Amino acid sequence: MANTTTLEAEKKITWGGGKSPFTVSYGKLMMWIFLLSDAFSFSSLLVTYGFIRFTFPASGANEIVKPLSHTAENFVEAMREAHLFSPEHWPLPELVFNHFPFLHGLHLPLFFVSLMTFVLIFSSVTMVLAVEAGHRNAKKEVAFYMLLTIFGGLAFLGCQAWEWTQFITEGASLHGNPFGPTAFAALFFIVTGFHGFHVFSGVVLNFIIYVNVLDGTYERRGHYEMVEKVGLYWHFVDLVWVFVFTFFYLI
Amino acid sequence: MEHTEHLEHTESPADIKKQIWRTFWILSFLTVIDIVLYFALLSYHSMWKNTLFILLGVVKAFYIVAVFMHMKFERKALAGIIILPFMLVLVLIWLVLIEGGYTFDLR
Repeated sequence: MANTTTLEAEKKITWGGGKSPFTVSYGKLMMWIFLLSDAFSFSSLLVTYGFIRFTFPASGANEIVKPLSHTAENFVEAMREAHLFSPEHWPLPELVFNHFPFLHGLHLPLFFVSLMTFVLIFSSVTMVLAVEAGHRNAKKEVAFYMLLTIFGGLAFLGCQAWEWTQFITEGASLHGNPFGPTAFAALFFIVTGFHGFHVFSGVVLNFIIYVNVLDGTYERRGHYEMVEKVGLYWHFVDLVWVFVFTFFYLI
Repeated sequence: MEHTEHLEHTESPADIKKQIWRTFWILSFLTVIDIVLYFALLSYHSMWKNTLFILLGVVKAFYIVAVFMHMKFERKALAGIIILPFMLVLVLIWLVLIEGGYTFDLR
């Protein structure tokens, strides 16, 4: 009986008004709400990708090109002749995304994008370490980890720029592509572009916070909550990449 | 600022750091599993394989949200207002799968 009364009392304290029942600040709560709405945007894009892909028959299994083998100069034409690339069916991602910088002419499916994934996971770790240092009010550590996070973000953007350049050089655009249905390249550019834009915004936000940290803004304020809020956004970008990676490259 | 105090202050910085690195290794390990499965199942195409990769993605998402985004240490009410509405996406996927079947037949 005593237990129920304490529970009732606790409920009244939590939900009785006068304070946030979520025990987070207004800014953090709103960041969460924003991320929820952003998650809906990304979900619709990825579900659209799944839908359009699902409505196209898959191409036959690739038994010609093995990983690590050398690819000919006219790789795309050869794949079209082998009916692995055709406008009627969805191409196999392994045959499209098979390049790696400085290793031209080798069939390396998934290698480059795995590297990009590790870069983003690592930058998420440095971000969370910056948040942890913020709890201890360790200004130098926060600045150091923020800088590493910014470098991680820039490295990821560089990789994506390289991949886009590669893809565009091979003839892919929003209104056509040599690998298969037009929608394939269009969706690739829209979804990775939307994600890349988020990464770019994240880098800009991280940079602003980094400058503020160096300036001592949060030291004067007494807490580093801004680092946490931007951290939430940055982890969300990493989270979305997990699914972009899964949908575009693995399945 | 009484109402914005966090629950994590009960843990020491060393514990939190340990947990962060543990999560990093879990995420890396899952990504490596992704890559290994990808090459192991390269010539094999089915809905089961796709579901497997998506489930691995969901597990990674869980670790990112729970540990990196700190959801594990927040109030259940906060987790509820963020995670429950997101489950509506499942309805979208369900509808799109039905619709996709018809579009596939028409093509």
